[in-house]
Amino acid sequence: MIFHLPTIRSQREGFERLGILAVETSDLQSDKLEVDCSRCGFFDANMAAPLAAVLTLIADRLNTIEIVNVPPAIERILRKNRFLAYYGYSPLEDANRTTIPFRRVQLADKGRFEDYLQRHLKGKGIPSMSAGLGRVFKQSIFEVFQNAVTHSESRLGVFVCGQFYPSLQRLDLTIADAGIGIRNAVRRFLKRRVSSVEAIRWALEQGHTTKRGTQPGGVGLKFLKDFVSLNEGKIQITSRLGFYEFHDSREDFKKIDSDYPGTAVNLEINTSDTKSYRLMEELSSADIF
Amino acid sequence: MSEEAIIRVSDIVGGPLCVSSEDGQVIHDKIAPLIREGQKVVVSFDRVETMISAFLNAAIGQLYGEFTEEQIRSSLTVRDMAPEDMALLKRVVDNAKLYFKDPDRYKKAVQPLSEEDDEE
Repeated sequence: MIFHLPTIRSQREGFERLGILAVETSDLQSDKLEVDCSRCGFFDANMAAPLAAVLTLIADRLNTIEIVNVPPAIERILRKNRFLAYYGYSPLEDANRTTIPFRRVQLADKGRFEDYLQRHLKGKGIPSMSAGLGRVFKQSIFEVFQNAVTHSESRLGVFVCGQFYPSLQRLDLTIADAGIGIRNAVRRFLKRRVSSVEAIRWALEQGHTTKRGTQPGGVGLKFLKDFVSLNEGKIQITSRLGFYEFHDSREDFKKIDSDYPGTAVNLEINTSDTKSYRLMEELSSADIF
Repeated sequence: MSEEAIIRVSDIVGGPLCVSSEDGQVIHDKIAPLIREGQKVVVSFDRVETMISAFLNAAIGQLYGEFTEEQIRSSLTVRDMAPEDMALLKRVVDNAKLYFKDPDRYKKAVQPLSEEDDEE
């Protein structure tokens, strides 16, 4: 089978198009998929993570995958971030140090994810990012990773990739899984059929969690939202047929026209932000409990 | 036995990252028996660089399901914590107090799938 990959930007349509790739190949078994990129005019580098999640699901059904006819500019960036190295291309050196390379990490391999972030977020090519911002950003990424570990049931692991855009002073980092999606977790928990969009809306409320047992939850996503708001960044969540974006104090919940198989979270931060991320008023231990 | 037990988190989790529920559970399992015995517990976050809510939910949040607020307030202190982490801990604690008052309350507010929606 040949699939013509269209332009993929880090926007609702981009995730929708990856969902179409998943849907159109869902019957492919022990076969060959050729992803033809000749019609792809642009590819946002961080979108390599959700693309990899879809391709890994396809490969898991014993299909072989070839990525062909990649336009030179796209090939360069996807070789630099090493995504194409997983599909037989040789990697290119990232001389400007603007990529956060593509990686697949198993959920149980927490140590590997920690090493990856410690290594690739450390100042590299991101000179304007303040220490305070770097710290909260790292914390946010770990929140997203832990969410995938706790809720996704993704036996194929998670896929992570990022890109720094120096002229825009923006850094995008996407973590995608090939798991059950927020919708299924929320349906199971509430014992009610809710749509993907409603499930995302529910999960974003402070205190809402599908975790069972004695540990409370539901703080992480609210924390992310507050951070992104303060930083004037962006958060996008795609899960099954639902898409959410928070940007510029505006929340947008939309249904997408294809079923993206899992959950992808994209964080975009404004690297020129110099806020201290410290509270005006310091809390003491006695104020907390 | 000394009057005040000090738990240094970085020594127990083996480094500066407190980024998983599992590690939080390990810390919880050190704190809870001490509170139960009526000891004062000091949790030190010295050398911790990054922590997330899932860690704090497991380490400290779930204590509110086992002890009263008064018990926790009189026995537990945290120290060597960055101010922004203190703010995260405050969120976790406030959330835990609400959670254990009525763990099912969050099940109530959600729209079921409507008839017009074609999602399976």
